[in-house]
Amino acid sequence: MNTDPIRSVLIVGGGTAGWMAAAALSRALGRSVQIRLVESEDIGTIGVGEATIPPILTFNSMLGIDENDFVKHTNATFKLGIEFVNWAQVGHRYLHAFGALGLDIEAIKFYQLWLKLYRQGHPHYIDEYSVSAMAAKLGRFSPPTLDPRAITSTIAYAYHFDAALYARYLRRYAEHHGAIRIEGKIVDVRLRGTDGFIESVVLEGGETLEADLFIDCSGFQGLLIEQALKTGYEEWTQWLPCDRAVAVPCDSGGELTPYTRSTAHTAGWQWRIPLQHRIGNGYVYCSRFISDDEAAATLLANLDGRPLAEPRFLRFTTGRRKKFWNKNCVALGLASGFMEPLESTSIHLVQVGITRLLALFPRRGFNPIEIDEYNRLCTRAWERTRDFIILHYHATGRDDAPLWEYCRNMSIPDTLRRKIELFRTSGRFFREDDELFVDSNWVAVFLGQKIWPATYDPLADALDSRALERSFQHLRTMIRRAVEAMPSHQAYIERHCSAVT
Amino acid sequence: MSTNRLRRIVIVGGGTAGWMAAATLGRFLKNRYCEVRLIESEQIGTVGVGESTIPQMRTFNRMLALDENDFVRRTRATFKLGIQFVDWTRIGHSYIHPFGPFGLSMEGVSFHAYWLKYRLLEPTTDLSDFSLQAVACRRGKFMRAINAGNSPLSNIAYAFHFDAALYARFLRSYAEERGVVRTEGKIVHVEQRGEDGFITAVVLESGERIEGDFFIDCSGFRGLLIEQTLKTGYEDWSHWLPCNRAVAVPCESGGELTPYTRSTARKAGWQWRIPLQHRIGNGYVYSSEHISDDEAIATLLANLDGAPRAEPRIIKFVTGRRKKFWNKNCLALGLASGFLEPLESTSIHLVQSGLANFMTLFPDRDISPVEIEQYNRTMTWEFERIRDFLVLHYHANERDDSEFWVYCRNMKLPDFLQHKLELFRAHGRIFRENNELFNDTSWFAVMIGQNVRPRAYDPLVDVLDEAELRYRMQHIRDTISRCADVMPTHREFIEKHCKADLS
Repeated sequence: MNTDPIRSVLIVGGGTAGWMAAAALSRALGRSVQIRLVESEDIGTIGVGEATIPPILTFNSMLGIDENDFVKHTNATFKLGIEFVNWAQVGHRYLHAFGALGLDIEAIKFYQLWLKLYRQGHPHYIDEYSVSAMAAKLGRFSPPTLDPRAITSTIAYAYHFDAALYARYLRRYAEHHGAIRIEGKIVDVRLRGTDGFIESVVLEGGETLEADLFIDCSGFQGLLIEQALKTGYEEWTQWLPCDRAVAVPCDSGGELTPYTRSTAHTAGWQWRIPLQHRIGNGYVYCSRFISDDEAAATLLANLDGRPLAEPRFLRFTTGRRKKFWNKNCVALGLASGFMEPLESTSIHLVQVGITRLLALFPRRGFNPIEIDEYNRLCTRAWERTRDFIILHYHATGRDDAPLWEYCRNMSIPDTLRRKIELFRTSGRFFREDDELFVDSNWVAVFLGQKIWPATYDPLADALDSRALERSFQHLRTMIRRAVEAMPSHQAYIERHCSAVT
Repeated sequence: MSTNRLRRIVIVGGGTAGWMAAATLGRFLKNRYCEVRLIESEQIGTVGVGESTIPQMRTFNRMLALDENDFVRRTRATFKLGIQFVDWTRIGHSYIHPFGPFGLSMEGVSFHAYWLKYRLLEPTTDLSDFSLQAVACRRGKFMRAINAGNSPLSNIAYAFHFDAALYARFLRSYAEERGVVRTEGKIVHVEQRGEDGFITAVVLESGERIEGDFFIDCSGFRGLLIEQTLKTGYEDWSHWLPCNRAVAVPCESGGELTPYTRSTARKAGWQWRIPLQHRIGNGYVYSSEHISDDEAIATLLANLDGAPRAEPRIIKFVTGRRKKFWNKNCLALGLASGFLEPLESTSIHLVQSGLANFMTLFPDRDISPVEIEQYNRTMTWEFERIRDFLVLHYHANERDDSEFWVYCRNMKLPDFLQHKLELFRAHGRIFRENNELFNDTSWFAVMIGQNVRPRAYDPLVDVLDEAELRYRMQHIRDTISRCADVMPTHREFIEKHCKADLS
């Protein structure tokens, strides 16, 4: 097997995925490997994933990006979680906040203790024990403190940002680190006769670009991974039937909420992502149950302010590429598969792909063992994320529309069914496959979607209920004080990172 | 308050596993939550093979809020920074599997990756020079971590060697102080419920009948409840780990107090050497198909540090695991749950891990099959991954001096291990999965120690040029060496902080 090093990488497509890859690779590989990115100004990018989750902080810090600088240049705001409206039933809302839920006592999970007290009539919902959730409700923001004894160390957050500006920001970063951008439209992909590896791509003007490794960030079309390599696609539409979205930005008015909002409608759900200068909105829907016109009308009728553009429609098929890495081509972003941004995982999945690629970075021999490992690890990450998203649809009490009827009654993946059964039994959760979402995430959504355990951890009875009530009271007081001492989200941004434009 | 709570838990057997369970329940089941009884018989001996431990044991001790110096004094313990493997790769070769990391990762890439490239530049480099624990092992030094910023001295991973019988006694007083009731007696009969076979009571020789809602089987190899009563079944792993006997003998200690366990490969197995404050524990784990008991005993006696202090004792076992660790209302811990030879000192850890998982799934009387299944899935993973790590030691050998080692080198491996080896052979990469016990450092130490060679190093390390790489490696090695300089010897540390009263 050829153990010569990779000399050149060609990234095809310059949306968020493409520039994230270019930035990370130029940071990790230095100038020992030539990194080029080909993109065309004629081809638009799809910036659906403007909301993110906390691991984005790891990605930015790996690049050595200064947070305030990044926020200023991407019109970003801070995100402490997601508010789900009308999901469990019409008129109901809950928060899936980042960060810890309460504090464990005597090695018993906080939420177990809470379940016990709540059943006995304790009047406070569990999110009153999460600093992030309480800050979100009051429109406050402050990053976590470092002292692990302080309750404010349990805050976790992410960002909302303008994906086009983020791509531009990363482009500057990548070019500064030696990546080369090429303007051009690809008209042909040439494969090597012997093994079908990609040899080169041909641009409209006739220029040929060769590379050892290709990264396909060409979006839904999958120019290399699918059109050239015929990798195949696994559909997940039986579990996630939405297949379209209509998006529109609008004027922001009023308070700058430090969270994403997801509102369930009759045939899908609407996102609301606040940026510094506008609000991103979209309706993800199932075309079986609603027409495009009706979806657009619903979206336009549910905006905070005046629309700033014409509504734009997207079509997609939820699922994943059968191989994320095939021969000498790695697919990232929409070229690798699609999952609706209900839990803001789009950018994270690009990040997972990049991190795993670096962890398994090949030599020119492209060891199949390592390619298999990459595909195995990415498949797990996608499937466990998929399960979490399905949970939102499946665990609903809504019976007002055929979409919700379908989702409530559909058969679900075994991995998810087991998690639900375990939680229903006595509120237990076990993280599997090093999955992204941990117990605090799952529990927030289980409870938010009204899956109630039949009982709670019996060990909670080994603790005295009155003493528990006292420590709960104390915790609420600490959290309230901490949150009241935090600046408003707006004030925090004005002080540290107001947008440059 | 749940009305369905367990009223009484009965622990059967009072060896290390039994008293660890009793201490844990005593610690967590407060306010007279439920009764805990432990039944043991002084007529039945205990098998204390697992006198050497891994750093996770400190979590267990902390959970019980034990004073560590007191624990060390009362169990005549010594400290352990790793294991020295002698003659495993080939006769005359030795390496250390230390606790704690090697070096430090740089530019987001693991130290292991850099070291593999460095070895191409400096073929005589010794991996153990890059672990403070390994260097301290070589120099017979020990101390606990101190607050020294980013110095390796801030982060010293260690475990213990201790007298398992004294540990059980120590935990017994801990558990009894917390309300656990011990009953002396031999069980002659086990009663089951007709409709579902759940265990309802055990009957003692004296005629006393002890009822329980839940039973913890710590009865050792025989598995009085889990196997003899519930017929749970056993999965045999002896095709991968062919040793099936051990002969053990303590001896006088003489000379230096080594802060590590030693494992020396022999013709048909391997010999352990576990230094305690007052003696050395020794044993030869062997395959009876390849060597007779007499020969094993003779080999062991010929390889002791000092005079033997007892008659050699032979233990027979079948490596493998109970098909269900938790079956109906019975949980098996320790030897009743399965057996893995103590090559990586995991016996006590498996009890600890079983208890930790049990506590996270602590049942009421309405025992849920979904939760039992979860427990069994987790523990199966735990057992199997340790098994694979042990199999690696046997498989990756270059010995031609006996049939035993040739067999091990050529045997078909478990898929998971095969996959790990193939990945490692590509670029020296190791991925830890689902919290498997041994992390990438442990796997790397043994892979390199047993001379498993990657075809190439991780290309990402080329971001540092050769001069920079040499400079940094030299710097890490020097820093570690200087840190070891300031550490006291193992003996000095014990004398000062936690010397046992041996009178």
